[in-house]
Amino acid sequence: MQDTNPDYFTGQWWKRKDVKTHAVLWVILTAFIGYVGTEVQVRALGAPASATMANVIHLMRVFTWAAAPVAGFAAAISLEALLHDRHYGDNPPPEADHAIRNSPRAIALWIVISALLCLFALVVGLIALQKDDARLLDANAIHVNVVGQQWVWDFDYPGGSGVRSQVLHLPVNQPVVFHVTSKDVKHSFWLVQLGVKIDANPGVFTETAVTPNKIGTFDVRCAELCGLLHAYMQNKVIVESKEDYEKWLASQPDTGKTTWTEAGATA
Amino acid sequence: MTTTMAHTAPTSGHTPKVGIIRHLNVFTAFALGTITAIVVWRLTLSLLPADSETAPLFTREDKITLLSMIGWFVGFMTGIGALVAPFRWVMGKDLSHDENMFLAGKDMGVKRYFRYTTDHKVVGIQYLVITMVIFGMGGILAMLIRANLGTPEGGWIHPQAYNSIVGTHGIIMIVGTIIMVTGPFGNYIMPIMIGARDMAFPRLNALSFWLIVAAAIPLVWGQFIGGISTGWSAYNPLAGQAPLGMNGYIMFICIFALSTMVAGANITTTVVRMRARGMTWNRTPIFIYGVVASVALALPAFPVFFLSQVMSGMDRALGTSFYDTARGGSGWLYENLFWIMGHPEVYVILIPAVAALMEMAPVFTRRPLFSFNVAVMGIAGICGLSVLVWAHHMYMSGWAPLLNAPFMLTTELISIPTGMLFLVLIGTLWRGRLWVTVPALSIFALLWNFMIGGVTGIYLSDVPADAFLHGSMYVTAHFHYTLMGAGLTGAIASLVYWFPKMTGRMLDKKLSWISFWLVQVGFNVAFIGMFFVGLQGQPRRVEAYAAIFNKGNLVTSIGAATIMTGMLILLAAVIGSWRSGVKAPMNPWQAKSLEWTVPNPVPLENFETLPVVTEDVYGYGRKS
Repeated sequence: MQDTNPDYFTGQWWKRKDVKTHAVLWVILTAFIGYVGTEVQVRALGAPASATMANVIHLMRVFTWAAAPVAGFAAAISLEALLHDRHYGDNPPPEADHAIRNSPRAIALWIVISALLCLFALVVGLIALQKDDARLLDANAIHVNVVGQQWVWDFDYPGGSGVRSQVLHLPVNQPVVFHVTSKDVKHSFWLVQLGVKIDANPGVFTETAVTPNKIGTFDVRCAELCGLLHAYMQNKVIVESKEDYEKWLASQPDTGKTTWTEAGATA
Repeated sequence: MTTTMAHTAPTSGHTPKVGIIRHLNVFTAFALGTITAIVVWRLTLSLLPADSETAPLFTREDKITLLSMIGWFVGFMTGIGALVAPFRWVMGKDLSHDENMFLAGKDMGVKRYFRYTTDHKVVGIQYLVITMVIFGMGGILAMLIRANLGTPEGGWIHPQAYNSIVGTHGIIMIVGTIIMVTGPFGNYIMPIMIGARDMAFPRLNALSFWLIVAAAIPLVWGQFIGGISTGWSAYNPLAGQAPLGMNGYIMFICIFALSTMVAGANITTTVVRMRARGMTWNRTPIFIYGVVASVALALPAFPVFFLSQVMSGMDRALGTSFYDTARGGSGWLYENLFWIMGHPEVYVILIPAVAALMEMAPVFTRRPLFSFNVAVMGIAGICGLSVLVWAHHMYMSGWAPLLNAPFMLTTELISIPTGMLFLVLIGTLWRGRLWVTVPALSIFALLWNFMIGGVTGIYLSDVPADAFLHGSMYVTAHFHYTLMGAGLTGAIASLVYWFPKMTGRMLDKKLSWISFWLVQVGFNVAFIGMFFVGLQGQPRRVEAYAAIFNKGNLVTSIGAATIMTGMLILLAAVIGSWRSGVKAPMNPWQAKSLEWTVPNPVPLENFETLPVVTEDVYGYGRKS
């Protein structure tokens, strides 16, 4: 397979007309894809209710803009190929005016750039992951036990008062660590607007953590098919001021069902 | 089975040279399968002891169901004639020459499509038809899902039935997409493309097809005894508490996994051993690489799937506790086994479809494939990495939080070989002369859909973003973009491209155009809507949803209806053209690969004299 044909990049290739057309298309399409891709998705995601969720939105933006030049490049070439030289009919057009099979420079460039983008995504992801993991170890956090069962969530609050509720109450700007388990099958504990999720597995505890930073009512849903009424396994999260939260907690009776023990949340 | 044994003796029958196999076909298979299942059912019903305190509780009915299904399977395979040749061999004999020719379908009649025929062309057509049947059934189920999601309150389908519809839609579409390229085109076209007279193991070829038919029945059966209410992933312990229909899923997967393993061994051997003289690896068409990569990837993946379901069946029927946390098992074990199959499996689906479009790209741009070597590297790279990424489905499972970072690394690395496939396609489009046909436009559709599917995959591969996206409709839309937007687009293009060779007629041009646009536009409308509700926070597999998801779901339903219209038009085009289409010339696309050098209809042994290959198939374009 000796390649005697010319490369894409020979002579003053950047002055060729088709190269210029592609360059212009590339810039326009990249801007378009990046803008539309981020705006539509960010709008759908809605307003964040925690730094974790704000970070998810930030990541969506970063990755979309990082991918936009690649998508724009493929789109530019596709669009040009689609518009440039079309033939209809039952017989093929004459063969192309070249027989280029290879371009070491183009290939090397493509692979290096995709490797760099991959590295970038990894680094960005690792930094964000590290932040999420650090929240689990926050010494100031309060600990809430979450028990999933077909098809309700029960929340057990700290303080030895035996409080259990099905609507989750959280104090604003207070780090919370959730210890999540299940009584029957797998569920997935999803605080939608707070941007955290962890599966509830029978017989074991899994952890996730978040600091809500906005007062309001949000959603908790089950994100893992758990049987008949999976769709209805959802409830509200009420994020309120510290005083309101304390008042609410004090007003609740001891249900005697809490999983919380004196040794701590998951003992 | 004893009766069959008696009949297989070479002296029995009226025509001494073709014995029992003359009488075996799909009808005897169904009859014997049904009879065996009923007999086993009655026997187990009267013989198996009742559940008691000493024996494991609640397993008797599972035992009865599973054993009856195994009875069906053995009866069916015996009835179709799969055991005749192995039995002869055990007796120290072999099939006679006449019998082998009969099995190969020498008579060229219509009946050979309904029996254990070994000719790869017959098997290819059989696969094509069963793929279309599967897509038809899966499509109807998809429309039922959309109909139920027409209103936020859910509605007229009972939640149990709805969950079962979701699970069945999932698993049969997965199976349909796994076989959609390697089945019809891998069997019919691939051997001709490499210049062979048949597959390496023709009987295994017939076996792989009839195993799929045998597998289908337990799945249908399962629908009537409680359904598959667990989604296609059938996670334990949910699958453990699911109704008896779950056994249908277990049997279906076990038999289908056998089929995949058999087909994988067969296709791999054929390509490695039977390429025409002179067809070096550098001259082997890229489609062949795609098919081999797909089935070779399935070879390590599906035994694990098989195993996971055997253990699931044992938990149900024998009272073991592989997946039962309360008794020392682990649901995470199931998740690991399932996704060790599940992630390679998506590339099993995707690679041959992309490779088929790479094969077509030079034909419809009249220029050489851009960088064959990069294409091969891309396919190889995806294969290698895809077995190392499975736990990205389990970021949020809590199984091993410390492994999230390494799995994020391997997952993101896949973007490099995937990018290579993009480079090959856009490099080939660059400065080509576009011959505007459905396969040519499918290349653009693939680039568009696969780009969206790929970029959304980056968000999902990122652990913190996945903490929001996992388990939402966003994931559902993402994998529909890859498997349907990229995979099915490639399969439909393959159908249009190879239809003339497989049927001797051209596929109706106008109808396939209309179908192409309806499917592509409908697809993008449907799944952009689904991305949107996913981002808004709608979980997967729900039969009711909050009012804010109204608009997105409506958009998705409209898109789904458009896809359905397009697919029905394609079906009409296929049936119409197959029966009375324009007769196809030998090489309608003026392509250079070997399958276009054989006449229509393709003779029984493909080539009169085996071809000799001296260059690759991409020699288009004027050498300057």
